[in-house]
Amino acid sequence: MEHGDVNVVYSVEHQLPLIMYIGQYFFFTGLSAGSFVISVIATLLGRKEFKPIGKITAILAPALLIIAPLNLILDLEQPLRFWHLFLYYNWASPITYGSFLLTAYPIMGIIYAVMVFTNRQKAAKVFGILGIPLAISVHGYTGFILALAKARSLWNTAAMPTIFIVSAMISGIGLVVIISAIRYRWFDKKANAEQKEQDKKVILQLAQIMAYVIMMDLFLVLSDILVLLTAHSDAYEAGLLILSGNFAFLFVGVEIILGSFLPILLVLGPKSRKSLTAAVVASILVNIGVYAMRFVMVIGGQTPPLS
Amino acid sequence: MVIDIRRCIACHACTVACKAEMAVPLEVNATWMKIVEKGAFPDVRRFWLPRLCNNCTDAICARNCPTKATYKREDGIVMVDQHRCIGCKYCIASCPYDVRYINPLKNIVQKCYFCSHRVDAGLLPACVETCPTRAMVFGDTNDSKSEISQLLASNATVVLKKEMQTDPQVFYISADEAAMSSIEERINYYTETAFIKLRI
Repeated sequence: MEHGDVNVVYSVEHQLPLIMYIGQYFFFTGLSAGSFVISVIATLLGRKEFKPIGKITAILAPALLIIAPLNLILDLEQPLRFWHLFLYYNWASPITYGSFLLTAYPIMGIIYAVMVFTNRQKAAKVFGILGIPLAISVHGYTGFILALAKARSLWNTAAMPTIFIVSAMISGIGLVVIISAIRYRWFDKKANAEQKEQDKKVILQLAQIMAYVIMMDLFLVLSDILVLLTAHSDAYEAGLLILSGNFAFLFVGVEIILGSFLPILLVLGPKSRKSLTAAVVASILVNIGVYAMRFVMVIGGQTPPLS
Repeated sequence: MVIDIRRCIACHACTVACKAEMAVPLEVNATWMKIVEKGAFPDVRRFWLPRLCNNCTDAICARNCPTKATYKREDGIVMVDQHRCIGCKYCIASCPYDVRYINPLKNIVQKCYFCSHRVDAGLLPACVETCPTRAMVFGDTNDSKSEISQLLASNATVVLKKEMQTDPQVFYISADEAAMSSIEERINYYTETAFIKLRI
């Protein structure tokens, strides 16, 4: 029987439970986790030219992670009851892992930042290495939140946590590129020409790493879409929804073309690869693309009717 | 609960009884009637399906609730503790049946509890009590002498979205596939309303 032969005369649909607060929360934790990982890599390498980046990101990571859970509390229908999460925890629920991770990770981040700024290299390395699994799981668990909400076929894939971690890296690196470029342009007057040249090189290198991570993300998204289109009928509908439905503009247009292909071209293209402006534009585009991805995932995932 | 669609006349009495008994606010429903039309003129027919919470044995909502506000009673009814619920709405997002809603007056999540307060008092759920054609049958499926067990044993029954592995406890007799399925050519229609449904 063709689908077109059925018309729904009457049914009840309830509100979308999760709104964009959740998407914004995903965006901010992603930025935080991404910048923390960059910071620790910079500290571990210990090279002098990476130092400024290590410091910027050490501040960014906990700062962003203080903004992020505010979105979660605002999203609650009963914001004043948020402490129930710690008192009546349920280990089967990914939100419970999250509430503990979201407490442990900023503490670790702040300790790490203090170590970086007081120049205790050894301690900074130790806390950095201890923090990386926390940073990754604080963002990976958000993927599990979506993946374990079994009802929504767009979310219920094993690729979801990995996609979230990889897109977090992308947006995190993007933010670091933007902020280091601002520092390079306006706040670094004391440095001599040689240092300036080195700073620029580091920023361009970061942008290149970003381009390679975007390629990884594109591969993950491609495999996710392919599996959606060939899995059961709900998943097929969800795949069509983001490829040709009303979310196609945001998914194909903003996330894939504007947020992935264009930045890769800008960063790796032969003409613009030496330009700082191109790297900054690419980073802004990347962040717009990742924000669109959060929107498509959170709102798009809940759009197909369940009843 | 068994719902015999052969007897159901889609009168919406269950919806009204539920609204009155559980004080369900406007805009939301714990029990409702889904009605679809199948075919094109002149070969066209209506099919319907009374919808309520399945009170699943392996409820995804209870597993995902971060505060254990959603829990299972010993007799299998899935409850929501209204003093513990923080309104994170994760249960609504993970329920495959769209039966949970936010009570706009109390700002917590609610759903159908098979009228647990009436069951405790030895009465039937309000919808079952009201049903004029006795299409709804409620009882203990573990008791082989109960009416519901005999109906289940002697009829072909189906449940909603068996593939979700939730073991739903609402069984339908003679339900049409088109009314049970959520998949239709509605994607574009619903994406338009999705932006309205966002309560921003």
